[in-house]
Amino acid sequence: MFVCIGAFSLMALLRYSDVAEWSSFLSQPYLWRLIRFSLWQALLSSLLSLVIAVPVASCLFHRSFWGRSFLLQLFSVSMVVPSIVAILGIVVVYGRTGWLAQISGIELPLYGLTGILLAHVFFNMPLAVRLLLQAYALIPSGQWRQAYQLGFDRWSAFRFIEWSYLRKALPGAFVLIFMLCFSSFAVVLSLGGGPKSSTLEVAIYQALRFDFDLNKASFLALLQVLICTVIALFVYKLAPVNHQDSSLLAQSRFPIRDSYGAKALDVIAFLCVLVFVLPPFIAIFDPMFSTQFLQTLGSLRLWQAVLVSLKIAFPAAFISLLLGLSFCVLARYCMGKGKLDIWSTKLEQVGNLILMVPGLVIATGLFLWLRDFGLSFSSSYWIVVWVNAVMALPFVLRCMMPCFYQQERRFRHLYSSLGVQAWSRCKIEWPLVRSAVAQAFAFALLLSLGDMGVIALFGSQGMVSLPLYLFQLIGAYRLEEGACVAVVLILLCLGLYVLFSRIVGGKWHAQG
Amino acid sequence: MKKLSFRTCSSIALATVTLSFSVLSSAAQTLNVYTYDSFASDWGPGPKIKENFEKQCDCEVNFVALDSSVGILSRVQLEGNSSSADVLLGLDLNLMQAAKKSGLLAEHGVDTSVVNLEGGWSDKVFVPFDHGHFAFIYNSETLANPPKSLAEIVENQDLRVIYQDPRTSTPGLGLLLWMKSVYGDKAASAWSKLASHTVTVTKGWSDAYGLFLKGEADLVLSYTTSPAYHIVAEGETKYQAIEAKEGRYPQVEVAAMMKSAPNKALAERFMSFILTSGFQSTIATGNWMLPVIDLEQPLPDAFASAMKPSTNLVLPADQVAEQRKAWVNEWLNATTE
Repeated sequence: MFVCIGAFSLMALLRYSDVAEWSSFLSQPYLWRLIRFSLWQALLSSLLSLVIAVPVASCLFHRSFWGRSFLLQLFSVSMVVPSIVAILGIVVVYGRTGWLAQISGIELPLYGLTGILLAHVFFNMPLAVRLLLQAYALIPSGQWRQAYQLGFDRWSAFRFIEWSYLRKALPGAFVLIFMLCFSSFAVVLSLGGGPKSSTLEVAIYQALRFDFDLNKASFLALLQVLICTVIALFVYKLAPVNHQDSSLLAQSRFPIRDSYGAKALDVIAFLCVLVFVLPPFIAIFDPMFSTQFLQTLGSLRLWQAVLVSLKIAFPAAFISLLLGLSFCVLARYCMGKGKLDIWSTKLEQVGNLILMVPGLVIATGLFLWLRDFGLSFSSSYWIVVWVNAVMALPFVLRCMMPCFYQQERRFRHLYSSLGVQAWSRCKIEWPLVRSAVAQAFAFALLLSLGDMGVIALFGSQGMVSLPLYLFQLIGAYRLEEGACVAVVLILLCLGLYVLFSRIVGGKWHAQG
Repeated sequence: MKKLSFRTCSSIALATVTLSFSVLSSAAQTLNVYTYDSFASDWGPGPKIKENFEKQCDCEVNFVALDSSVGILSRVQLEGNSSSADVLLGLDLNLMQAAKKSGLLAEHGVDTSVVNLEGGWSDKVFVPFDHGHFAFIYNSETLANPPKSLAEIVENQDLRVIYQDPRTSTPGLGLLLWMKSVYGDKAASAWSKLASHTVTVTKGWSDAYGLFLKGEADLVLSYTTSPAYHIVAEGETKYQAIEAKEGRYPQVEVAAMMKSAPNKALAERFMSFILTSGFQSTIATGNWMLPVIDLEQPLPDAFASAMKPSTNLVLPADQVAEQRKAWVNEWLNATTE
């Protein structure tokens, strides 16, 4: 199985380890402070993201307003915004001379937990909303019809219908976001206001890059995996068992009775979006209106970088999708097969494991393995593609699994009694799963487009992707040009996202 | 018709392949130079250096751009003896010891007597290719009374300072050593004084400098040559370097050749090329650092302040290598309490 790559690369590092020294690492007080802070900020960030995401998702599901679909598309690209661009965007809004300070005169104590939370909510709340909307899409229309007939208001609809679906999606989303925040790096350092706030990932980076201490790096990586696993197991234990219902899914909507209270809540939810997500985006898009932007667009290097990025992102997304599909199929096969049944949920959790192993560790570990196999680095292009594909896997799984499970529950008996198998089954299922598949593919594509770490380690001449180009510019005083490249990157992501969710996802996707 | 076009296409493709092969064989010798990204970028000195060297060597220079100077070292450490690198370009003073210890580097055999660095240059493995000094940069339009020394920066609690993490960045490590050479045993208390008016400590130079340009701080840790960039490239004179009464800590960037270099003779030629004007003349306005030999053509006026002599504080390399971890821990403890 391909997921072994994560474990393999960790093992590659572990070969260089010396267990005897480990106890001395554990006795450092700073390490414990580090872990405590990592846990604390990740917990707060992910809870805050989800707490805001639930009403926002509900609001977006029930209401249609001008700009809604654009907002949704914007949401899906927030996580590919390179961290330095997001940091500067947040600073433009909330900083000392930022918009907030200019307009209201309030100066936020940005550097510290506030800054970290702001940035993490900016990155992850939109992701959470997307994941929750996927859960919404699983609610069968029969339930909405009933709600409509019974005259439910939004609150009772939420309590009796939406919540029971959200409940199943929340733990997975929580674990995903928690891990992203736990291993967050540049954001925590820059906005954290000093070494008081740094994460375990910083220590891993230091050990691996600055000290080239493979022993310590492997220890820290293992520690990170351990902590995340404990958290994940704990959350999954608390989570309700995933009993998907087997009612039919139809694609019509029934309006739910509106009320002033519901309107007020939606307005509040919307305001949250207005506060957390939109202003940094506007700040990021701001350079679009400068003369520099046109100059940047005219440079050949930019378009070469775009080409390189696309050449990496497409195969990576494709491989990631294939991996994800094989996971789903395997998990489905295990479902309801007696002893194998427990494996169906376990498989998804195994997929999540990849997220716990820091990207740098995966990349370095792979590097060591390939070196030992005597592979030359002329094939570095494919390594970059592979590692990117594997790294996107948790997101792909999160997008596809719930949908595939539900299909299985609903139609398994029907299929087996009618003898529908293999290709014909695929044909029948395709219209039902295509939106999830499209979402997964688009996510994988975007993630690989935004990747920095992998290509920086394996990079070679001529492999300058768009994010790398951006960092080169910023690293050479060319901040404004860099900001323009960031706009190009985000626009490219937006464009591809829209394109693929339309082509692969079909028209229905456009609704939710 | 269709068949014909296919045939044309395939013959064109074939021609291209043969052509590219013949190009390869005429310049059979390729020099692989590992460097950091901004050095090899279009606006960096890389393309010029490539052009100048190729003129005299009948070879092709191939830059492999890695993300940072530390990235160069860890890449060859990962590759070990199977590395295809001939020359490493872009390590610095503080990485020299670790790089030597890896056992991957060969002696260069270049005459370094032309090097104009204070105290000359005697290292047998590394050849210096540019230098500069660390300095805090301020905006003279918003900061009326800039401090005059490192001690004033540490003491003045009204100043908002941004610097880089010594665990993850070169300038950060430079400040760590600068503080150590000025404060010695009292570095810890100086760090905690600085910490109380530090805005933030970033992962790398770009984040810190970006935050500074957005107006988040009065001072940012960078190089004495930073103002020159703003003057030459933007015509902007408001950014200036803080003076340092105590003296400055130097940054010297160095090159070395690999023991396992696939193309040893060429690597040796490149190493001596580094100390000629074909290489050095590209440094000032390409890499925004100072050349290490005296050039016939004087540098632009913008570099005047960076050229101003000051006391050169430098700690011995073996002491740095030995004590770095302890000093980083001292910094950590002082700033996190």
